[in-house]
Amino acid sequence: MAQDSNGGKRDDHRPRVNPILAHLEAIATGIKWLTRKPMTLMYPDMEEKRPEYFRGFIIFNYDKCIGCSLCAQICPPRAIHMYRVPGDKRIRPGYDAGRCIHCGLCTDICPTDALDVSPVHDEVFEQIESMDFDPVEWHIISKKLVEEHAKRKRKLVITRVDEEVGLRYEPVE
Amino acid sequence: MVELAKILHVPVWALRGFLAPLVYPGLVALLGTVLFLIWAERKMAARVQQRVGPYYVSPKLRGALQLIADGTRFALQEIIVHVETDRLMFILGPILTFTFLSLPFTVLPGGPGIYGFRSDFSMVIVYALLTLSPITVILMGWASSNKFAMIGGGREALLTVSGEITLALAMLSVAAMYGTLDFVTAVEKQMHTGIIGLVSNPIAALLFFLAMLLLTDRVPFDIVLGEQEIVQGPYTEYSGVLYALTMAIDYVKLYALSIAFTLLFLGGWAPFTTPLLGAISVYVKSLIVLLFSVFLRSVYGRMRLDHAMNFFWAKLFPLGFIALALGVFVHVIYA
Repeated sequence: MAQDSNGGKRDDHRPRVNPILAHLEAIATGIKWLTRKPMTLMYPDMEEKRPEYFRGFIIFNYDKCIGCSLCAQICPPRAIHMYRVPGDKRIRPGYDAGRCIHCGLCTDICPTDALDVSPVHDEVFEQIESMDFDPVEWHIISKKLVEEHAKRKRKLVITRVDEEVGLRYEPVE
Repeated sequence: MVELAKILHVPVWALRGFLAPLVYPGLVALLGTVLFLIWAERKMAARVQQRVGPYYVSPKLRGALQLIADGTRFALQEIIVHVETDRLMFILGPILTFTFLSLPFTVLPGGPGIYGFRSDFSMVIVYALLTLSPITVILMGWASSNKFAMIGGGREALLTVSGEITLALAMLSVAAMYGTLDFVTAVEKQMHTGIIGLVSNPIAALLFFLAMLLLTDRVPFDIVLGEQEIVQGPYTEYSGVLYALTMAIDYVKLYALSIAFTLLFLGGWAPFTTPLLGAISVYVKSLIVLLFSVFLRSVYGRMRLDHAMNFFWAKLFPLGFIALALGVFVHVIYA
């Protein structure tokens, strides 16, 4: 008989289980859970509703920008750099989406609201290089993303914690 | 079947020898069953864990085409045979194993009158053909020249011995109970008396089922391909079509053994006597057995190697003799 460190028999402080009943109980539990519904959020078809000022991809309006470079100064991960654009007297911000931590400080400090936060957070880029935008590219992709997000028809849901199912998703309008 | 032979102007034995191993219960039915079974296994395990399981391959069919997509991928994949392998055995291993395992369908009846050939020793033939496959699996483990494959082959050798002795005892007690070694006669005796083998000798049924789980690496006895310990056991080095074959091996064995389980313990084609309904009855019953045995994946964890060996030799082996004794006594009903 196996001995534990206290010298007592190992079986003494273990609950006795009926081997046959325990197996039947385990299988019955499995079958019970088989009838439960999955609690997966079917993400690309269904999405959680974002709050109003959700900080996603930073969008840039070239026409409002005055080239003060405050955004580049405040940016904590240095995702924003100032570029010289041919045919433009002022320097303009460029954006490295791979470095961005979505803190939103640049949008707060921008004196003309040329920078703004958007609810877009799941844009996919195939290459690391394609995540680095110069000012003109940033302006173009911002417009594109905002338009695409407005067109998107995903079911919006709110997640609720439910004691019965675990997680429940309520549709919202 | 006899009418079909008359229409086609071929002898009945030739038609049987062609249809049984190739269509039902052989390869075509087998392919469909395996595709369904792996999908059902993944779906059930997902449901128990409140996940969704395979879905995006065909959302309307709940991901049922996932396995076909996987199969296509395997078929197009390059078969990598690395330098240190024993080339011939490495490539022949899965093919030989699969061939051995598709042989029992010549003699396993899939319904009244649906068999390749009828023999007085069909149980022995099926058992013998099924026990050929571990040899090639061990050889595959050796030929891969990989430590995981090597350990997997060793585990296969150990477990096969303990599993097959249990299976043999269960089959022997059934043979003593029905007084025959023929599947068809066994089913006819169950139909004649109206008492199925599961009721008259439940111990043998339990032993048969557990040995079936062990021999086909189902949870809780999936020790040979312990994914978290030894990547894929003896099949670690395989890729492409050969990997698909190695994956199929266990399911083929499971399918054959669950048909045998249906015939011996669940009364085979019990309520029906016509070939079509009888075949459907056998198929549905064995499908239920199959689904139950893959469902156990979501309930149990893996048993340790020594625990499994201890369980089979110290607990089930003596129980096998009790089953044999019970079978001898119960023989009175079926005599």
